[in-house]
Amino acid sequence: MTATTRNGVSPFLDPGPHTKANSLAILQLSRDNLLPVYLKPLTGEHDGYAEGAVVNTRYGSFPHSTMLNVPWGSQIRASKVDTGSRGRKRKREDGDDAFREATGASEKDNEDLATAVTGDSAAAVKQAVADTSGFIHVLPPTPELWTTSLPHRTQVVYTPDYSYILHRIRARPGSVLIEAGAGSGSFTHAAVRAVYNGYPAEGERKGKVFSFEFHEQRYHKMKQELSDHGLDELVQLTHRDVYNGGFAVDGKSPEADAVFLDLPAPWEALPHLSRRRPASSHVNGSATGNEQTDWVSPLNPNKSVYLCTFSPCIEQVTRTVSAMRRLGWVDIDMVEIANRKLHTSRERVGLNLNFDRGVNNSAHDVEEAITRLAEIEARFREHAAKPRDGDEEMDSADEAAEPAGQNSAATNGGTPAEATSGTAPWMEGRLITRGEPEIKTHTSYLVFAVLPREWTEEDEAAAAVKFPVGKEQKVIGAMDRAARKQERREQLQQQQQGASSRKARRKERDEKMAEVSG
Amino acid sequence: MHSVVRPNAWVALKLPSGSTKVIQIAPNTTISLGKYGSFPSNLIIGRPYHLTFELQDKLPNETFSRLRVVPADELYAEVFAEEAGPGCATPDAAGANDTVISTTDGEEFSLVDDKGNVVARSNREVLDENARQTLTQDEIEELKREGTNAGKDVIAKLLLSHTALDQKTSFSLAKYKLLKTKKYIRRFQVLPIDVENLAHWQLEERDASKIMDMRAEMIGLVGCWGNVHYGGDEVFLPDPKTSSAEGAGACVPVDRDVLKGRWLAVDDTCGLLVAAMAERMGILYEGENTESEVKAEEHKGMATEQAPARSEIPEKPQSNTPATESTQKDGDAEMTDAPTKPVKRESDVKPKQLNPRPSDFATPYSQTNTITVIHATSQPNLSLLNYWGFDITAPNHPPHPLLNHLLTLSWLQLLKPELDTAYSTPPPTATPETLASWKPSRRGNFHRKRRRYARIRHIVDSTRTGNFSGLVCASTMDPISILRHTLPLLAGGAPVAIYSPSVESLAALADCFSVPRRTAWVSGAAPEIEGMSNEELERWPGNERFPLNPTLLQGVSIQTSRARRWQVLPGRTHPLMTERGGADGYVFTAWKAIPAEGKVAAKGKFKRRKVESEAATPAAA
Repeated sequence: MTATTRNGVSPFLDPGPHTKANSLAILQLSRDNLLPVYLKPLTGEHDGYAEGAVVNTRYGSFPHSTMLNVPWGSQIRASKVDTGSRGRKRKREDGDDAFREATGASEKDNEDLATAVTGDSAAAVKQAVADTSGFIHVLPPTPELWTTSLPHRTQVVYTPDYSYILHRIRARPGSVLIEAGAGSGSFTHAAVRAVYNGYPAEGERKGKVFSFEFHEQRYHKMKQELSDHGLDELVQLTHRDVYNGGFAVDGKSPEADAVFLDLPAPWEALPHLSRRRPASSHVNGSATGNEQTDWVSPLNPNKSVYLCTFSPCIEQVTRTVSAMRRLGWVDIDMVEIANRKLHTSRERVGLNLNFDRGVNNSAHDVEEAITRLAEIEARFREHAAKPRDGDEEMDSADEAAEPAGQNSAATNGGTPAEATSGTAPWMEGRLITRGEPEIKTHTSYLVFAVLPREWTEEDEAAAAVKFPVGKEQKVIGAMDRAARKQERREQLQQQQQGASSRKARRKERDEKMAEVSG
Repeated sequence: MHSVVRPNAWVALKLPSGSTKVIQIAPNTTISLGKYGSFPSNLIIGRPYHLTFELQDKLPNETFSRLRVVPADELYAEVFAEEAGPGCATPDAAGANDTVISTTDGEEFSLVDDKGNVVARSNREVLDENARQTLTQDEIEELKREGTNAGKDVIAKLLLSHTALDQKTSFSLAKYKLLKTKKYIRRFQVLPIDVENLAHWQLEERDASKIMDMRAEMIGLVGCWGNVHYGGDEVFLPDPKTSSAEGAGACVPVDRDVLKGRWLAVDDTCGLLVAAMAERMGILYEGENTESEVKAEEHKGMATEQAPARSEIPEKPQSNTPATESTQKDGDAEMTDAPTKPVKRESDVKPKQLNPRPSDFATPYSQTNTITVIHATSQPNLSLLNYWGFDITAPNHPPHPLLNHLLTLSWLQLLKPELDTAYSTPPPTATPETLASWKPSRRGNFHRKRRRYARIRHIVDSTRTGNFSGLVCASTMDPISILRHTLPLLAGGAPVAIYSPSVESLAALADCFSVPRRTAWVSGAAPEIEGMSNEELERWPGNERFPLNPTLLQGVSIQTSRARRWQVLPGRTHPLMTERGGADGYVFTAWKAIPAEGKVAAKGKFKRRKVESEAATPAAA
C-alpha cells in the first residue's frame, strides 16, 4: 500500500482541526462516560431518522449532522429528534407480529409518514432543532479515550499499565514493536502512537507494530477496527498461534526493537524470540522440518531488544522469569502498577449550613459543639424552672421556648451562616481529595527484560582493531587514591610549567616595554 | 540509536553494588570504577549495550585489565543451581522447614564456576571455632590486592572462612553471599543514557528534588495523557532571502495553517520533562533515523570509516527543508563513529559548499513536531539535556534535532512581548557597502542580532497564535496561573497533563472546574461575563469566585500511580522490603473544551425511565 491509497492520516495520530465525516470521534457524555462514534456524512434519512444518523443518550438525541465539521472539543447541544415513530417502525420490520397487532391501527399512518420522509430526504435532510435536554462534548480520539470507551473483547490493558510499559520498553518513534495477544486493541493503539514516525513509503522502514492474535473472531474485529482507524499500514495484524508459529511474517523477520507479550503462557512464546534458532528442547510446539530450516530471528540484530510480559498470576511470572534466564535475557525486573484516581470535593461540616446533599450537619469544631450544648442546657434549665401545671401549659411553654432557641441560634451560631452568605456555596468548606469508591488493586504483573545483541568473537576482534587500547592518557570516573594522587601531581606540574612560562613571558614583555619607552 | 557505544557517548555503568555511574566515554582514557578496578575506555567503545563485562586479571605483560563478556548462563548460574537443587523442587518445603544446612551437603552454597563445576567446598579449609569470620581485614585486603578471578576468589574464601556458615539457613546464606558478591565481584554493565535510565539515576542517586521526584510511572502517564507523539514530518518556512538593509518588515509571517503537532511545556525539572517529550516525538537522539544507522552499521563492519558513509548522503530523502539539517546530521553521525576525532571539530568538517548560509531572517524552526517551553526566568533551565548532547546555551551548536524543534520563550515574552527588549527592539540594518566596510567581528555581531530578532519574533508570534496540540507541565508554579494564560493557546480537544509531586495544588486546580462551580457559572453567577463572546471568555482573566473559566476544560481528573517492585527467585518471590518514599506524584488530566455560544440548558431526560427500561432499544422515548 502506498501513501496515495491512504485516506489521510489516522485521527489518532493527527485528528486535524475539525471533526470529519467517516472518522472516529469520542463523545463525552459525562466525566467517565465516553462513547466512540463513527460520524456519518449527511446522506439522507438513516435508520428511520429524518436527521440522518443519530446518537441517543440519556442527555438527549444528537444527530451526526450537528457534530460534523465542528472544532474538536466542541460542546454540542441536544436536538429535538422524533425517536418515537421510528422505533415502532423498525420493530415492525423485524417481524414482531404481536407488536404489529397491537399497533395495527396506526400502521397505515406510519407507513405514509415513513415514505414521505424517505421521499424528500434524498434531496434535503431535516435540519436538526436544538433541544434543552442536555449537551455532550466531542473529543478527538486518543489511545486513552479509546481505552476507556472501546468494546471489550478481552481484559484491557489500561493506561496506567501501558504508559509505563511503553516507557520501559523504549517504544519510540521509529521502533518496531511486536505485540502478541492483540486482545481488545487498547495496547495496540497506544503502541502505534508511540512508534509512529510517518507512514512508510514503499520499502521504507518506519515505526510499526506487528500484532498477533490467536482468536479468529477477535482477529477479524480487530482488522476491521484498524482499517476504520486508518492504522492498517502501521499495524501488521496476523492471525496466528505464536506458541507454535513464532513471529516471522511472510518468512521475513520484523526486526523488532521491543516486544510485548500479553499471553497466558509467555514462556512458550519466548524461545521464538531468540537471536539464534532455539534448541528444540525449548520449543514444545510441533515445528515442521521446513520451518526449522528457514528460521529467522524476529529481533533487530543490531540492538538490544526490550521485552515486557503481562501476566495476572504469580505462577506465570515464575515460569516466565525462569525461561527468560535460560534464554539469556538480562535485567529482569518484575513490577506491578497500582493506580488510583482521586476525586476532589468540598467537605462541608457545620451546624448552621443548609441541608444540601453532601453537607454534614454536625458541629464543625469544639466551640460550635459547646455553643450548641450550652444552648440546649439553657433551654432545659428554663424549661425545668417553669411550674408544672398541666398539659396546656406544657405546650405553650414549648412554643415559648422554641422562638427563644432560634433567637440564640441567630445570635451565637448564626454568624457562620452570615459569613458563608458572603462566600459562594461552591467555595464553602474544606477542599479534600479522596480515592474513588472502588480501586483496581491488581491488573497484572509486568516482567521486563532486555536481550543484548549478539556479540561474537569476530565482532569483538573487529572492534578491537577499530578501537585499539594502549594509548590511554587520562583517567575518568571514580579513582582510587593512588590514581588521583598521580593525576594531581601531573596537574600541578603542568600548572607550574604553565605558570613559569607565563611569568617568563610577562618578564619578556616588560623588558620589551622598557626598551620601547627607553 | 543505542546499537553500540559510540565514542564520547554518555553511558551509565551499573556496578555490582547497585549504584550507577554516568560518564562520558572519551576514547583513549582509563575508566576507573573505584574499588572494582579500572579499564581502558576503548574496550567498551564499539561494543553493544547491556552486556555484562568482567574485569580480568592483568596479563603479566600488560598494564591494564582486559574485559570479558559474562554470558547470561554464568550470571544466573546460582539460580540455575538452586532450581536444580532439591530445595527448589518443592519451594514451600524449603521455606517451611527452614532447614539448617550443613557444610558438607554442598550444592546449596558451594560456588560454581562458568561451567557449573563446583570450585570450592567448605571442607577444603579449616574453620576457626571462635571468630565468625576468620579472615582478618589484612588478609581480605591481601586477597583483594591479588584480586584474581574477578573477585570470585575473595568471595569464595570469605564464605568458606565463615564459621557459622553451617548454621545459616538457605535464605540467610543466599543473603550473605549476595552481600559479599556485591562488594567484591568485579563486574559492570553498560547501559545507554535514555530518559528512563537518566531519570532513574537522578532520582535514586542524585538529587531527586531537581527533577521534582518524577518517577518513571509519572513520566509515562504525563506523556500518554498529554498525547505527546510524533507530530508530522518537519516543515520549514521558505527563506525570505532578505538583504542586510531590510528591517523587521521582512520577517516571515507566521502561517497558522502549517503549524501542526506542537506541544506546550512548562518544565521545572531541569529539562527532564522536555527530554521525555522529545523522546516521544523522536527529536531527542542524534541519528534518530534508524535506517541510516543500520546502514552505517553495515558499512562499518566491512570497510574503513568515512568513504562509504559519505556516499549515502544524497540518498537521503530531501523534504522541503533548506537542506541543512538532514545532510549535516548524517555527516555528524559518521564523524562520531570515527574513533579518534573529538566532537568539537565536527563543525569545521561540515561541507560548506553544500548548504549556503540562510539569510538572517530565515526561520530556523520546523513548523511541526515542536516543543515550546515557557520559562519563568530569563533563560530556561534545561541542563539535563546536556546528557543528550544538547546545550541550550551554546551559541554555535553542532547539529542536533532539538535545535530546530525546541522553542523557548519567557512568560514575559509570551504575555507582554512589548516589554521584552529582545522582542521589541527592531533589528539593525545596514547597506551591503557599510557592512563590507566593517570589521568581521562587528559584522558577525550585526548578523547575530538580526538572526536573534527573527528567531524571537517567530517564537513569540507563533506561540501567541495558539492552536497547540497539548499542554504538559511539571512546574513549581501555581497551576491555576499557568492554565489561565495557556488555556487560550490550546486547540479544541487538546489534552492537558500536569504533574505535581504533591496533590494540593492539583486539587485546588480541579476545584476550579468542580460541578457546583460550573453549574453556577452556566446559570449566571458571574454577572461580569454577560454578553461576552467565546473569544473573550477564553481569555477572561478570572476573579476570586471563578479563578478560571470553568467551562474550558472537560474530563478533569487526578490520578497517581506507583510501581511495586518484586524479587523473583525460585521459592523466594516477594515484593521488595523497602522502596523509595518521598513525593507520591500526581497527574492532573483534562481536555480543552470549546463551549457552545450562548446559554446551554441541561435539564436531562430522565422523566420516562419506566418506558425506557421496558423498551429494548435505547431509542424508545
